[in-house]
Amino acid sequence: MRRWSVAALFLLPGSLLIVLFFLLPVVLTLVLSATNLSTTTFSHPSWVGWGNYQELLQARFTPLILKNTLKYVILTLFFNVGMGLLLALITAFLPVRLGDAFRALWLLPRITASVVYVLIWQGLAAVAPYGLLSDLTGNSQNWIQQSPWAVVVLANGVIGASFGMLLFTSAIRAIPSDLLHAAAVDGATTWQSIYRVVLPLLRWPILFVSAYQTLSLLTSFEYILLLTNGGPGFYSTEVWSLSAYHQAFSNYFGNAQFGLGSAMAAVLVVIGVVVSLIYLRVFNFKELLGEPKVEVN
Amino acid sequence: MKGSQVRLEGLSKRFGKVEVLRPLDLEVQPGELVAFLGPSGCGKTTTLLLIAGIYQPSSGGIFFDGKQVNSLHPKDRDIGMVFQSYALYPHLNLFENIAFPLRLKRIAQAEVRRRVDQVAEFLGIAQVLFRRPGQVSGGQQQRAALARALVKEPSLLLLDEPLSNLDARIRLSARSEIRRLQQDLGITSVLVTHDQSEALAMADRVAVFSTGQVQQFATPEELYHRPSNTFVAGFVGDPPMNLLQGTFTEGKFDWDGLTIPVPPGHPGGSGYLGVRPEDIRLGGEIPTRLGIAEPLGREVLLSLDLGEGKTLKVLTPAGTRLAPGASLGLELRGAPLHFFDAEGRRVGS
Amino acid sequence: MGLNRRVWPWWAVLLGLLSLPIVAGYLWLVLSSLSNQMHGLLPTGGWKLQNWRFLWESVGGRPSIWGALSNTLIFAFGVAALEVLISAMTAYAISRLRFPGRGIYLGMILVLHSFPAVSLLIAIFYILRLLGLFDTLIGVILVKAALDIPLGIWVLKGFFDGLSWDMEMAALTDGASRWVIFWRIALPLVRPGLLALGTFALLSAWGEFILPYTLIISNKTWTLSLYLQSLIGAVDLTDYGLLAAVGLFYLLPVVVLFLLGQRYLLDIYGGGSKG
Repeated sequence: MRRWSVAALFLLPGSLLIVLFFLLPVVLTLVLSATNLSTTTFSHPSWVGWGNYQELLQARFTPLILKNTLKYVILTLFFNVGMGLLLALITAFLPVRLGDAFRALWLLPRITASVVYVLIWQGLAAVAPYGLLSDLTGNSQNWIQQSPWAVVVLANGVIGASFGMLLFTSAIRAIPSDLLHAAAVDGATTWQSIYRVVLPLLRWPILFVSAYQTLSLLTSFEYILLLTNGGPGFYSTEVWSLSAYHQAFSNYFGNAQFGLGSAMAAVLVVIGVVVSLIYLRVFNFKELLGEPKVEVN
Repeated sequence: MKGSQVRLEGLSKRFGKVEVLRPLDLEVQPGELVAFLGPSGCGKTTTLLLIAGIYQPSSGGIFFDGKQVNSLHPKDRDIGMVFQSYALYPHLNLFENIAFPLRLKRIAQAEVRRRVDQVAEFLGIAQVLFRRPGQVSGGQQQRAALARALVKEPSLLLLDEPLSNLDARIRLSARSEIRRLQQDLGITSVLVTHDQSEALAMADRVAVFSTGQVQQFATPEELYHRPSNTFVAGFVGDPPMNLLQGTFTEGKFDWDGLTIPVPPGHPGGSGYLGVRPEDIRLGGEIPTRLGIAEPLGREVLLSLDLGEGKTLKVLTPAGTRLAPGASLGLELRGAPLHFFDAEGRRVGS
Repeated sequence: MGLNRRVWPWWAVLLGLLSLPIVAGYLWLVLSSLSNQMHGLLPTGGWKLQNWRFLWESVGGRPSIWGALSNTLIFAFGVAALEVLISAMTAYAISRLRFPGRGIYLGMILVLHSFPAVSLLIAIFYILRLLGLFDTLIGVILVKAALDIPLGIWVLKGFFDGLSWDMEMAALTDGASRWVIFWRIALPLVRPGLLALGTFALLSAWGEFILPYTLIISNKTWTLSLYLQSLIGAVDLTDYGLLAAVGLFYLLPVVVLFLLGQRYLLDIYGGGSKG
């Protein structure tokens, strides 16, 4: 209909990219997960049905990877949210410019290219006499190799904390200052104000940040790939999403298992879709969609 | 510049389930200025936006010079429109704001300059043409908005509360200025306003809107002297007409125990008797007590208490000093009386 | 939040201590790139300009860094331009136009916005091979722009929502089509949003690693992240001077852009990520 042709024109390029690189991949991931597509079968894959999923259920490494994933998500999440909250609260106390400077500093790692960021970690964690950590502790070791989990969680946590920090900061700024003045007049100490006024008001932002970060931690693997690549040794920091990537792109045996990797990714895709839909429900969607006041396009 | 004729036929509009405009028939003659007058939410702005093509009618038709324009895009309707908020483009200076409609028509730069300068000169904003809207006064913004609407010499000018954001002092001069301009250019215009004095002073004819319906479409004189129902009677005129609810019986009107003699032509049974405050004289035999007196400058508006909750508003020349509670007699004989039946419709001439 | 004016210096000290590792990290990068050797944060053995030799010579048979730099520039600006333009068009339509399925469309954008796109990498790899865009810059640009577009639409929709409807109506009666209004009225008025999203897209694409790492093979098409990663993987790990110099070379434009665009950016990194 000619009436909608203007809207179609506006929507065309975006829709094209979204179909090509979101909707189609979701479907394709599910389809590929039912095939044995790999480097050797690239031109003649065959259907294996639930075969890849059965293989995953039985695989020796699956329990270990699940345990790693859980460990990674929970530890990093606590660091992210806790640190984010701490940063937001402290910077809120500081003079505006100083607070802004600290927030910018904590945002810097997020903006730094991941390769450079990891390079810095590698430099600091190197053996003596090069590494700062070894130097300070007098205990010369490659800290990434020796305590991979601590490094993985901290490195991801420093990145993730800035997300919570910014969201919590805007939430704190939205608190009417009357409320805090009232608390002060009522004789509340700083600590009581935070505990009784600020934190309860941050309940929703905290919940939101936790939910959002859980999903993104579950699927992100870039920093682990660069820091430890799942090692050291056999799968010691290999998480689910990284493992999917490894199966598909750098299998140890040189035969990239796209089918099996897709099956692992499909699990994440399904979780992602379900959780996103839940967000949408929790969110007050109607409010976002005001009717256009012009009826012609 | 030639104004076009606008005809609305059974035009209605609903948003979802809410009917904001009931089927409406109305004609605006070429060169005429018609005001849509009514309280907020009465459907007058909706009608204007339907004419502009911003809204799509739910039913009925809009005709410009006899041609149906229902599906014509606003940009192709050859209209100029002025908004209450002026709706100037904040990122463009006044010159570019006014030139915008001409640029869209790909008119040569020299011609654009000439026409913008001309209309700006005419409206007295030539000195501020190269300032942004945020850097000029409200009155200048209003003129710029008017200039932008007029510069492409449209055949129809739509004005949506163009004066209500102006200071009271400028508003009066802007009123006569717009009217003079409109008459000089002979451009068909529709003015939406909630201000009855503005509508009465500027328009050739006024359509009084209420609850999505036109109550009366007539000249200002007609509206004032022959309101077609109690809504118009109460809405047009400041201070508003006294509307007494009571019962008519053969030459008499019984208002809650008070009997008022009325001339023939009245309805029978229950109905309304209307009398304008300026038509009532003091010094008759109907006894009242003065409630409050509001000095309005040349006149004083008296609220008279007739007992048992009955009050009347009366306008008298200033100068008489009256104390609250003073006893006053009223004279209704000879005053033009308006009769309305129980549904509020006018009865008689 | 002026809770208590007297204690803030103590909080600043605490925060300073917490932030020390970050400062130390970036300090290490700068000092290492300039010095012969580092003992912790102490440069020893004097300055070493040779760390920056990658600027004028090939390192271990790799292509020149200037090629990687220009690839990165094309990638980052390509992504930013595409992302801003397409997000703006889509956001304008969702915010200002009427069309059937508008609610569903916005719902889809919101779901995609919180949807973790990296899990689609295998399928995207496959699609790019089918399209013949694997191992090309244009392919990675399209993918990166596409994955960030839901965020862009979401951010810009907020800006378009704030535009006055009267103004849009005025433009229509002035004789403008919606297409003309978009370019000449709406876009100039959401400039802060376009700048914020553009800066965000530039920074995000500039540092992007996993997409080029997966979707680009030939070293002629390398971006700086691939160049640096190949050095980290190959160079004798005691040559931190070279790595740090390359890293700093890669980081500097980002810091400059961040400082310039910080005012706009904070909103996107926080509020914009709302799902």
